[in-house]
Amino acid sequence: MSRSPVRESVTTIGRDGTRRFLQPAIVIGAWWRARRLVAWLLIAFFALLPWIEVGGFPAVFLDVEHRRFHLLGATLGLGDVWLLFFVITGWGFLIYATTALLGRIWCGWTCPQTVYLEHVFRVVDRFFEGDHVSRAKLDAEPWSRPAKFLRRGGRALAYLVLCWAVAHIFLAYFISIPGLYPMITAAPQAHPAAFVAMAVATGVLFFNFWWFREQLCLIICPYGRLQSALIDDDSVIVGYDEKRGEPRGKAAPGVVAGDCVDCRRCVQVCPTGIDIRQGLQMECVACTACVDACDDVMTKLKRPAGLVRYASLRELAGGRTRFLRPRTLLYAALLTVGLIVATVSLLRVQPAGFKLSRPPQTELYVVSADSVANVFRAKIQNKDDVERRFFVEAEATGTRLTILNQSAGLIIAPQAEVTLPLTLLVDRRDYRGEFNFTLRLRSDDGKVSVLQKAHFIGPDPRTLAR
Amino acid sequence: MQDDEQPVIMPHSYDGIQEYDQSLPNWWLFTLFASIAFAFVYWLANFTTGTLPDDRVALDAELAALEARQLAAVKDLDEATLWKMSRNPTTLAEGQAVYAGLCFSCHGPKMEGIKGVGFRLNDDLWVHGNTGMAVFRNINEGVVFDGKPTGMAAQKALGAGRVAAVTAYLLSFQQQGRMQAIDRTKEPSQLTP
Repeated sequence: MSRSPVRESVTTIGRDGTRRFLQPAIVIGAWWRARRLVAWLLIAFFALLPWIEVGGFPAVFLDVEHRRFHLLGATLGLGDVWLLFFVITGWGFLIYATTALLGRIWCGWTCPQTVYLEHVFRVVDRFFEGDHVSRAKLDAEPWSRPAKFLRRGGRALAYLVLCWAVAHIFLAYFISIPGLYPMITAAPQAHPAAFVAMAVATGVLFFNFWWFREQLCLIICPYGRLQSALIDDDSVIVGYDEKRGEPRGKAAPGVVAGDCVDCRRCVQVCPTGIDIRQGLQMECVACTACVDACDDVMTKLKRPAGLVRYASLRELAGGRTRFLRPRTLLYAALLTVGLIVATVSLLRVQPAGFKLSRPPQTELYVVSADSVANVFRAKIQNKDDVERRFFVEAEATGTRLTILNQSAGLIIAPQAEVTLPLTLLVDRRDYRGEFNFTLRLRSDDGKVSVLQKAHFIGPDPRTLAR
Repeated sequence: MQDDEQPVIMPHSYDGIQEYDQSLPNWWLFTLFASIAFAFVYWLANFTTGTLPDDRVALDAELAALEARQLAAVKDLDEATLWKMSRNPTTLAEGQAVYAGLCFSCHGPKMEGIKGVGFRLNDDLWVHGNTGMAVFRNINEGVVFDGKPTGMAAQKALGAGRVAAVTAYLLSFQQQGRMQAIDRTKEPSQLTP
């Protein structure tokens, strides 16, 4: 197991393409404790969120079946999916901005892959198969030994139960806890689609945490590959202080040595199988395991900690980290603009939809004895969970525009959609040619006010002169 | 294990750029070969042997089932039933709602018709057939007028049940046997509102 990692190839992939499994050692240090606390908080947050109700619905309930998305009391319909733009770009942008400032802090502290692997599944590994030495020994043993079979089988069973639980919580975000419970208690064939989704999710999670592990970070996840573009000399990364550490080895009379004693502890604890002393690498998920490992050794040697630490490349080269630099300032400015636009957009989401079109195969306008008429087709959607009475009002400057047959209002059931023809009339004597106008969809409780601009088509007014 | 630590550099060099001779991860290659195998099996099953159900066949079957459901709703519809429905207040309320929601935009809120758009319906002159069933069919399937289809063909939008209701609503203003057929080319003046 003591292969020396090299920068030119991936430690976990052999020359022949075979997968090499790592059995990293555990080191419990200050960073490890902080990371574990964060991980527990994140797992608790993920597991508890579907149970919390805001405004009669779970805090986050992505009801794909009914194409309705409940977020912290707000209900969004399929027509509001464009808001996802802000979620996706905001998420990406936030990660980019954080990377410029603090490196891959996302990977090491908050990415679900790291959180579950390091703080759930590796705990199971240690429980069933012992520390890294006995795990490596177990790897080498043949399956015919009952001890291996029992230990690894027990571990697999525990994995399966955990993945099954995570898959259920994941599914709860899409069908809610009240929707999930009857599915759990019912027979699988009663809800085949949900059962298959749950089984597939469990299988994928099991495969990921049992076999795939760091391959996801190294080969599938694009984030690490973007690192070279996102990180600059002032980004804080997990780095090895070469100036202090080198040359490695034991000091002896006549032999000059740095602080690194080449104990290889940092390599043993690395979950992606790199040697941090070779500098910043694509594989590094900034998990700080090597920081804890080295600090532990340095403390034992009564040398100052921080030979491997959070530091920027500039700091490691002897300079000072600049946090305020054009890049971070620009990111902060753009992030502020994005947040403002996203907030305004979210606040302007209406519990009703209102779309206008002209019905096909009808005349653009109709001139009768006393009026000019335009016919529109209005699509009115009640996105809310309560019945509402809707009114459509016409607003035009300088022209008296009336809507035929629109006095009592239109009652629309919750989440229903009605297509309503609107005949708009202008008195012939008032008609002064084509004009723009606005239609306002209003509800009697004042909760809805959606505007739609439209154009009134008509003949040249001179042709109407008697 | 020392042998596999330093990868071999490939002999070629392009613009001074060289590359290591690294193998892809086997699991990665497996996804490639598995997708090739899947494509072959899928092609065999879907396009060659026809083992998998064709999408078009599945779509046609589903459309046929939908049509059958709609037809079942009006299976027993005949002239007498329509006229009976036209005197049933529940049906009329539904029909009126449909009319007020859709039909009025072309035929006018009081069925007085809109010139150049839709015929008046509140008289006893009928251009496209003077029976209840003819009116039902016209609303359901639409009529061709001056060589172009009109905007009706409402079966998809409303479903046959509501088309029957709105037909009944129209018939409620008529007397059975008193609907007159009219040739609009001969008596156009009768039709304008």
